[in-house]
Amino acid sequence: MKKLLFTTLLLIGAAHAQKATTVRLGYFPNLTHAAALVGLEKGYFQKELGNVKLTSKEFVAGTALNEAFAAGEIDIGYIGPGPAINGAVRGLPVQIIAGASNAGAVLVARKGSGIKTYKDLEGKKVAVPSLGNTQDISLRHILKEQGLTGKVTIQPLAPADVPTAFAAKQIDAALVPEPWASLLETKGGTLIGNEKTVWRDGDYPTTVVIVNTKFAQENPELVKAFLRGHIKAVNFIKSNGPAAQTSIARKLLELTKEKVDPRVLQRALKRTQITTTYSVEALKEYADLNKEAGFIRTLPDWNTLINNSYLNEVK
Amino acid sequence: MQRTAVARRKKATPIWVWQIVGVLFLLGSWYLFTSVLKLQPSYVMPTPEMVWEEYRYGFIKSDNPNDGQLIYAIGNSLRRVFTGYGIGIIIGVIIGVILSTNQILRAVVGGWLIALQSIPSIAYIPLAIIWFGLNEKAVLFVVVLEATLPVALALSGALLNVQPAVVTAGRNLGAVGLKVYTHVLLPASLPNIFTGIRVAWSFAWRALVGGELLSHAAGLGQLLETGRNVSNTALVLATMIIIGVVGVLFEQLIQRLENRVRSNYGLEVRK
Repeated sequence: MKKLLFTTLLLIGAAHAQKATTVRLGYFPNLTHAAALVGLEKGYFQKELGNVKLTSKEFVAGTALNEAFAAGEIDIGYIGPGPAINGAVRGLPVQIIAGASNAGAVLVARKGSGIKTYKDLEGKKVAVPSLGNTQDISLRHILKEQGLTGKVTIQPLAPADVPTAFAAKQIDAALVPEPWASLLETKGGTLIGNEKTVWRDGDYPTTVVIVNTKFAQENPELVKAFLRGHIKAVNFIKSNGPAAQTSIARKLLELTKEKVDPRVLQRALKRTQITTTYSVEALKEYADLNKEAGFIRTLPDWNTLINNSYLNEVK
Repeated sequence: MQRTAVARRKKATPIWVWQIVGVLFLLGSWYLFTSVLKLQPSYVMPTPEMVWEEYRYGFIKSDNPNDGQLIYAIGNSLRRVFTGYGIGIIIGVIIGVILSTNQILRAVVGGWLIALQSIPSIAYIPLAIIWFGLNEKAVLFVVVLEATLPVALALSGALLNVQPAVVTAGRNLGAVGLKVYTHVLLPASLPNIFTGIRVAWSFAWRALVGGELLSHAAGLGQLLETGRNVSNTALVLATMIIIGVVGVLFEQLIQRLENRVRSNYGLEVRK
């Protein structure tokens, strides 16, 4: 048994020492991951990577993406800062190398829930995509500011299930990323907190790009090539509104088999700032909130977790 | 059975010593492979120290909002499983009695029960959530269901296996109507019923954990999900160990009751 384990480890070690022949990307079919959607749909990543093949896999939550990272199945990923920080604290070999989107999440209340302001959340049930994720931490921050800590039930629920849960009156409000928030609004939900009032006037990262530290050290050129594709995708979205919407809608349709209403997409894009940078202060505040919520007990080593050198080189 | 073996070889080391050795061996190899040899990174396979730390935080309440969460989760899960298990046994007894009265009913419904029992409890959850909502009723439903079926099946089988002579004797001694059940049939089939009750426990306990995991009802199952969400594998492992220990403790308790009943009925040698 021991021998088998050692052999396996040796094999893994050997595989890592070689230069990678594929880059394995993980991302979510969300608007906050628009750069990944467009980069894949337009083939920007593949063009920059040249002969090295890009494979991609979509995830529904940072949890699952972190697991894939831990298992060594993913090299580069688009993920919320919450899971990235939690993973780093537990020793996942992860580095944040670029931003992908800011803000892009809002608090929507169910029609008839009686919620009109943050204060009305007292005694209510609010859904977030998963515990310890970016929206959960944002919600805890709101509750803390409103003096409602411990007075609101936080219910982890996949954003796709929120409309059904609203209809069944099982939850009263939801803090969800786009395009789910805009979708809830078109179905009669009331906007309680917009992307700016949720936190830091909207200047907080919702999605960042992470890389497996070991992979980056062994393949710095691939990481830089990927980031060139990432920058191209971000610029495309910023400068080509309607064309970017079409590209995103096409990719979302391919992934989720659901046609996204252009109006929903437009509204959602307005609320999301697609970017390559991120606020380090916001990240640190994030980690503090995570610690306060009890999800982590120590803060990450910022010097290893944050690495903007690749981005600075290709910018 | 263990005790008879020990009694035969009076000088031999008692079994409990070996049980402790077994646990120590397991802990030792765990420590060796994770903490000393570090065969896997700690986020893949947590060390005993990390799990111990989860227990320290999980059982002692402090300012940290998540501290003491294990006590809270164990409390919630036990309350839920006892409620569901209790209701399940009562319903199971009723269904079992009804089934034992009618051969056609048994032929028709008995098959359904076995089919229902073959479906893993976790498969009922999506439907239960739609029926009862994202709350603990959905979990309770699954626990009740899982506890009911083994009791119903064991009871209807047991009642049928009571020797006719016993029933005749009971009737001759004056048992009529319901009294045939309460004074003759139920006591006579008690040993077999206990088998169903013991099986029902393990079914109910496993259903509970699965239900809490999927329906987000606060408890041990939900702790697994929380650990997963925040990449805390030590919490996941710590919770799994508790689930196993609680499961064994209650299984043992029921086994003891069962042994006592069986020996009272002369089915086992009194020790």
